[in-house]
Formats: sequence, C-alpha cells, structure tokens
Amino acid sequence: MNFDYAQLFSAAIPETVVVITAFLALLVDFIFLRNLPARTRTSLLATVTAVGCLSAIAWMGVSHSTYRLDDAIFVVNPMTQLVKQIILALTIFTAFISVQTNFTRHLGEYFILLLLASAGMMFLVSAENILAIFLALELLSLSLYVLTAFNKQSVFSAEAALKYFLFGGMSAAFTLFGLSLIYGVTGEMNLTAIAAKLAGKTTDPLFYVALVMTVIGFGFKVAAAPFHMWAPDAYQGSPTPVTSFIAAGSKVASFFILAKILFTGFAGAEGDAGWHHYISGWTPVLAILAALSVIIGNLAAISQKSVKRLLAYSAIAHGGYALLGILTADQKGFASLIYYVTTYALTVIGAFGVVAVVENYGGDKLSDFAGLSRRAPILSACMMVFMLSLAGIPPLAGFFGKFYVFTSAIQLGAKSLGLLWLVILAIAMSAVSLYYYLQVLKQIYVVDASDKTTVSVALPTQFVIVALAIAVVVLGCVPNLLVGKILAALSLG
Amino acid sequence: MTGQLDQLFVSLKQWLVSFLPQAAQPMAGILLSISAIIGAFATMFAITTIMERKILGRIQNRLGPNRVGPFGLLQPAADGIKMLTKEDIVPFAADKLVHFLAPVVLIIPVALALAMIPYGRNMTAVDLDAGILFFFAVGSATELSVFMAGWSSQNKYSLVGAMRAIAQMISYEMPLVLSTVSVLMMAGTLSLPLIVQAQSGYIYEILPRWNVFTPWGLAGFVLFMIAATAESNRAPFDLPEAESEIIAGYLTEYSGFKYALFFMAEYWGLFAVSGLAVTLFLGGWNAPFPFLQWVPSWAWFFAKLGTIIFGFIWVRGTLPRLRLDQLMNFAWKFLLPMSLINIVVTAMWHFSRVFQFVGAREMRWVLCALVLAIPYFFLGRALGEGRPAKRNYKFAE
Amino acid sequence: MHDAFFYIFAILTVFCAVMVVANPVSRSPITSAMFLVLTITCMAALFVQLHAFFLAAVQILVYAGAVMVLFLFVIMLLDLKEEERRRIKAVSAGLGTLAVGSILFLIIKSTLQFGQAGAIPPHTEGSTASLGKLLFSNYVLPFEILSLLLLVAMVGVILLSKKDLK
Repeated sequence: MNFDYAQLFSAAIPETVVVITAFLALLVDFIFLRNLPARTRTSLLATVTAVGCLSAIAWMGVSHSTYRLDDAIFVVNPMTQLVKQIILALTIFTAFISVQTNFTRHLGEYFILLLLASAGMMFLVSAENILAIFLALELLSLSLYVLTAFNKQSVFSAEAALKYFLFGGMSAAFTLFGLSLIYGVTGEMNLTAIAAKLAGKTTDPLFYVALVMTVIGFGFKVAAAPFHMWAPDAYQGSPTPVTSFIAAGSKVASFFILAKILFTGFAGAEGDAGWHHYISGWTPVLAILAALSVIIGNLAAISQKSVKRLLAYSAIAHGGYALLGILTADQKGFASLIYYVTTYALTVIGAFGVVAVVENYGGDKLSDFAGLSRRAPILSACMMVFMLSLAGIPPLAGFFGKFYVFTSAIQLGAKSLGLLWLVILAIAMSAVSLYYYLQVLKQIYVVDASDKTTVSVALPTQFVIVALAIAVVVLGCVPNLLVGKILAALSLG
Repeated sequence: MTGQLDQLFVSLKQWLVSFLPQAAQPMAGILLSISAIIGAFATMFAITTIMERKILGRIQNRLGPNRVGPFGLLQPAADGIKMLTKEDIVPFAADKLVHFLAPVVLIIPVALALAMIPYGRNMTAVDLDAGILFFFAVGSATELSVFMAGWSSQNKYSLVGAMRAIAQMISYEMPLVLSTVSVLMMAGTLSLPLIVQAQSGYIYEILPRWNVFTPWGLAGFVLFMIAATAESNRAPFDLPEAESEIIAGYLTEYSGFKYALFFMAEYWGLFAVSGLAVTLFLGGWNAPFPFLQWVPSWAWFFAKLGTIIFGFIWVRGTLPRLRLDQLMNFAWKFLLPMSLINIVVTAMWHFSRVFQFVGAREMRWVLCALVLAIPYFFLGRALGEGRPAKRNYKFAE
Repeated sequence: MHDAFFYIFAILTVFCAVMVVANPVSRSPITSAMFLVLTITCMAALFVQLHAFFLAAVQILVYAGAVMVLFLFVIMLLDLKEEERRRIKAVSAGLGTLAVGSILFLIIKSTLQFGQAGAIPPHTEGSTASLGKLLFSNYVLPFEILSLLLLVAMVGVILLSKKDLK
C-alpha cells in the first residue's frame, strides 16, 4: 500500500502553516518576550499570528489545486479554500482586538489556543467524513472552552467556561450519537456515500432519530433556540476577544459544516417545511429552530442591560436568519448563507472590538456607552456602522445579507411560496431588532456622558475596527465582491 | 534428549490431555496451563518471600528467619498457616462488598498477565496477537483494586495510601509502556513469543542478539526496571505502603486471608513484570551462548527471572525511600523525556542499518549511545537543580 | 457457542449500563463507577468476539484503566453523602424514561422492519498490523488532529490549574 504523503502534505499546507505559527507563537513568547510589557507582547504575538495567517491565505489564493483524501477525510476545493481564507481573516482581526485587553499574562498560551482553534475550523471546513468532522469539531470546541476560561481573575469567566463546556459536552454527545446511528444505518463515514446509501432508505425510523440528534448537536454549536441557553452567559463571561471569536469564526465554520452535512450527507431527505404541504425531513426541523431563534433572540435582546449579552441574543437571532439560508437546500441558498455569516462575522468582531475598548473604562453595560460619541468619535462612528448593519439598514452589508437570504428562501417556494411564513416572521422580527440596536446608538449619541475622559485605543485595534467598518460598508455597497467569489467557487467546486 | 527435556512440560500437557474426548481437549489444555502457572508461581511466591528475608538479613548484617525447619526454610509454610487461620476483621464503617472484592480484583488480572508470558519454547499459555498490550491492559486493573481497597476501608491512612499509589502508578505507567515501544518497533510485532524469536540467533556466532545489548535496549531496560519497581510499589518507591508514615497504606484495614491474597498478588505482579522484562530485553528463553543451548529453554527463563528478582531485593536493601515530590519529578522530568528520546534513538538505530562499511556496526553503537548519554547528563543535572538549599520543617522543630 | 457468548456479554453490558444510572440498591457514585468499569470490560469482551484484540486491549487499558481511575479520583474528593441525599425529580425521570423508551422502540422497529443493518464491510481487520497501517496512511490526518487535540487539552489543563501569582 503506497500512500501519497507528499500530495496530502501539499494539500494541507495552509493548515500546517497555521499549526506551526501556533507553536511559534508559544515559543517566541517563552524565549524572547517574557519580560516585555503586556501590550507590546500582545502586539508582537498578534503580528506573528497575522504573518502566519496571511501567508496561509496567500498560499490558498495562489494555488488552485483540488484534493480529496480517501473516504473524504480531507477535501480541498475552491469553496473550502474561500471559507478557510475568511476564517483566517477573522482570526487575524481577533488577534489584533486582543491587544486592547489585558485579561491574562499567559499570552503565548492564548495565541497558541487561538491558532489551534482556527486550525480546527480549517480541518472542519475541509472534512466530508463524519469521523473527521467530529474530531475537528472537538479540536475547535476544546480550544474555545479553554479560551473562555482564560480570565482567571474573573469568576464570570470560569462560570461561562463551565456552562459552555457542559453544554458543549452535551451537544458533542448528541452529535456523536446521531453520527454513530448514521454509521450504523449506512455503514459509511463519507458524506457522499452516506447520501447514496440513504437514497432508498429514508423511511428507516432510525435515520430520523439520527437526523434529529445531529441537528440538535449542531443546534447547540450554532446557538439556535431552543439550544441557546449557554450563549448569553458564555458570551458575557468570557474575555471579549474570545467572545468575538466564538461569535464570528466558530459560527462561520459551524454553519458551513452543518450546511455541508445536510446538503451532502442527507441529500434526498430534505422534506418540506412549506405551510400546507409538510413532508418530514430535515427542513421542518430546521424551520422550527429558525423560527424559535428569530423570535426568542430578538425579544430577549430587548431587555438586556449588558451590551455583550445583547449581542449574544442578537447572535441567536442572526443564527435564525442564517438557518433560512440552509433551509432553501440549494446552491443559491448556500451562497447566501456563506455571504450572510461572513458579513455577520465581520460586523460582530468589529462590535465586540468596540466593546473591548469601552470595557477598559468601566464595563459593558449600556450606560457605560453613554456619550461615547464625544469621548471617541471614530469608534462611535464605527459602532454605528456595525449596529446599523446588524439591524439590516440598506447601504450596509447586513442589509444585503438578509436580503439575499430572504430572496433565496422565497424563490425556492416560487410555486407555492412555502417558506413565506418564515420569511415574513423573520422580517417582522428584524424590525423589532432595530429597537435594541438603536438603544445602543442612543446611548452613544444622545445620552450625556458621566465620565468625560477621552477613550484611548491601541493603534492596531483602532486600525482593525476602522478597517472592519469600511469592509462592512464596501461589502454592502458592492456585494458582488464577495458574492461573485462565492458563486465562482461554487461553480468550480 | 535435550529436545525432550526442553519440551518436557509441553509433552506432559499433551499426554494428559490426550486421555480426554476430542471436544474437551482445547478447554482442558487451557485449564491445565493455567493451573500449572498458578501452582508454579504460588511455589515461587513462597520461595521468594523466604529468600527476600534471608537476603535482606544478609544485607543488614543479621541472620534473617532461621527458626522454622532447616535454615528457617519452612518459614513460608508457617506464615501461610498463620494467615489462613487469623480472624478476618472488616471495619464497621467499611463498604463491605468493595472491601471484599478488592483483593479478588487484584489477583485475577495479575494471573491473566502471567498467562501472557512465554516461559519457554512453545510454552505460552495464551498467545495473543496483541499480547503485550493485553498485558498492560489487565495490569491497569491493579490501580482499580488499589483504589477499591483504599476507599472502601474508610480509613484515612488507607485513603492517603491509595491516592499515593494511584498517583504513582499513573505517573510511572507512562515510562513503563513507552520504554517497551522501542522493542516493539524493532521486533515489528506485539506478540510476546515473536518478540522472543526476534532476539534469537547470535552475532559473530557467539554474542547473543538480546535487546539489552543495544544502546536503546540497555536504556529501555533500565527505564523499564525503574518504572517496574515503582509500578509494583517496591522500595525505594514504596511510598504507598510507607510504614513509618501511613501504617500500611491501603492495606491498613486488611487482615488474614485477604491480606495474604494482597501480599501474593503483589509478588505475582512483580513476577509478571520481571517476566516481561526478561521477554522484552533479556532474550526471553534464549540461551546466552550457542554452546549452552542444551540447557532447557524454560530453565533459562526462570534463571533470568530469578536474577531480576534478586536485583529487586538488592535494590530494596540498598536504597532509601524517595520523597513524594522527588518521586513525581523523577517520573515526569526524567523518565518520560528519556523514554521518548529512546524511541527516537531506536529509529536512528533502525535506519542506520543501511550503512555497511567496516566498523559501521560499532560506530552506530557509539553514536546511539552518545545521543542517549547527552540528554541523560543534562536531564539528570536539571533534576538536581530545583533542590531546596535548606529544608524547613514546619511541624518537627 | 459463539452466539451464546455474545448474548451473555451483550446482556451483561446492558445490565451493567443500566445499573450505572439507575441502581435500585445503592445511590453511591462509587457503585455507579464500578458498574461502568464492568460495562467497559464486557464491551471489551464483545470486541474480542469480533477478533479485534487490539481494540479490546485498548478499551480496557484506556477506559477501565486510565479514565475510570481518574473518575474515581474525582469521586474520592467529593462529598458522597450529599449525592446520595439528592432527590431525583419525578418529571425528569419520567421524561428520561420516555426518551429512552421511544428511541429503543424505534431501534427495535427499525431492526424488525429492515433486518439487521447488513454486513458492514470490516474497515479494520482485527490484526494490529493492518490497523497500524491504516492509521499511518489513510487516517494519518485524523491521527494528527487528535494529537493537536491532546496538546490543546494539555495546555488548557496546565493553564487552568496553575495558580496565577498576582
């Protein structure tokens, strides 16, 4: 048996680069940086991270090879490379936002975990085999649990980590149970082969158990209601850069892999969630999750006093919108999903970046943002962009994302407008969400500040936040920049 | 003649089994082997206890037991009768069932482990494809038994002893297993009889091809023996039973027959792990020189086993007990890295086989030994560095 | 003969597994843990019957040996009396039974309807060598991911358990 290691290695170069960067970050920190001031250390380590990630991104930009390891354990095609590039970009942003905060002295460990989490996401994106999916998911989750607990001075960080860990463990158990039942029913681990085996067997009741279990497991991961209970506490308690990473990077990877499992593995078992012609399958399950997420997320966000918590509930709601993209079960819906989660991730990292800055001057309460426009005009402007984008106001990326998802959902049911009920619900709830996003902006622009000191921002953080705001505006005005790439990758892959 | 002597026990078993009907033969063969092993090692246990006490006596400049029978040789029989007739005391607060099960849980895996070992040519009771792995697997059940004994006694000394024992066993299991990896790599199999076979034959027709005569084998043997000493809770790693500190550790609340079972199981564990060391590093039942091959294979095995056990006794009589922090540091900061380095050295040894020039064999020996010696030197120095200059006694001033 | 052994160990596995969570005699976590050890050992016996000796040995080595001992270590540090006093809510017990029962029903129904899942092709022959070859060829990437996973666990444990001097 001759196994082609060289080919596997050349396909996995980006992942290798990221993992090596992770080791390097730890090593550099241990050997050279121990005695420097914390902020310098973070900046330097963030630079190391950025260099590593950028070279991986550049490599993926240059090489256009496709690869498929036996049994689809590792699949490389233009689509996976695009998503990996997005994830790495998000990692870089997170790294630079960390410069602003000082929640730990163990920076080498922080960056190695951050990078290994991204490596986990990359493996996850490239996996089309349930074994590899589970392993990569665990690598990602375990890194995130530790990152959540990173602030050892704070009890809330420990509480958040414990909750996240327990719910994550539960969800992993569900996922594993579902996946092993699927293996039991089909005897295959490769998603394509599973779909082929299932083609004539969809009436097997065990398969539905497996399907529901898998969806529940991933429902926990993407924090879709009613499996969202961990999210607010975990988002609020963990260090803000980590929160942004959970909300952004992990979400992109999880949604991508959920879509891939459902589209590839459960192809032919879609069912129909239409208003009058219900057919059992995975779309009705997802439709319920989406509807609940949209309602619960938006309504619960209204009464929040903490901005991190507010963003957590808004993340649940946005998860609901994103699920609409999966519900369409076609290529266009898939493209809309990727566009949606990417723009959402960019926005939410920016928003959490602002929160991380403000946190240094008090806390993350809404009242701590009072009069921010006078204390930090640039940051406030950026926050306005992010909030309006999250609410879905026209020239911004958030608007186009929602628009794209909704239209693809409606077009699917062109014959019967089957998903129209869900789209109408989502739009209505979207209008509700405007209220609490404007609450934040009201604090920033209208209410007077009690504390008049100017907010000072570390240069790299400021740069990243402004860049993100510009990206949100540009992607909103010229959505084709990203959509074109996604569609091209889809047609190639 | 020599062949017949060599296969004496094998032929005996076949002859005995042949009286039975065809269907029952395999089962009867297994039962026979097991009872032979149990019988042999029960005897050996008796001999070892008296030898240990005699040798320790010599080392400590006294006579040792000399009252019962000629030279005190019947001492084990007297001890055995005493143990069996003693009252079996179970503490009132104890978890009765677990307390009762603990010695049983210990003795069964140890007996299973003994069944894995090739005692001579064609003398392996259970020949499994993954024999060595099975050996370690059943060996890990001893930790469970120690825990059961310590916890169920509801005695603080028992619990402290159990915690110490488990911490020690977990720490030393890693170097124990890792030091065997190099042997497995070179033999290319997990089956113990095949590992012995890989060590048969002679270099230059005279020098034995045992693993212990290679740099990685020597290092592996030393690491293995240290870890094995700790695994079987023998001095200088006998903290779990340190009499002067915690009475008798997890054995504190055991008496009578249960205590005897524990005692025997510990010695059996010692035999099992020594037998494994013989199999892995000392060529198993192979004769050291070609002209000594007329001696039966099982005699060689038991001679080597006896030598190793004598070594254990010698070490016990010579070295003082370690402190707990020294114990842990030694496992994690010295044994573990050394056993990992040893694996790398094994790979070096394997790949340097391609060089065929004159003196290549000697050169690679020296080279591999050097690669082992340098980290040994530095790791050993680092181990001594953290030592506090002056020890502060908190309670005993 | 072979079938008989299978049924004996299968029934034992299920029985012990039930005793882990719903032991009518003792509520002590130690008893549960002991039954978990038995469950794992019985599962190893099932592996042996499939001629997967390597898996059986690893199952015992890792789960019955290492993992369970760590479980017991943790239990040893807990207040067991409190655990024994804890009341189980009737609602949660009922819901749990319902969920398990319905899944069991579906599994039985599915087995009756579709027969056994059919001969799943043996991906790994029992022998250790073939397993090793597979691990170092096709499954080398999952193997490496696993090593990263363990690294993360190690970094995490050291980081979280170390006292922060401040």
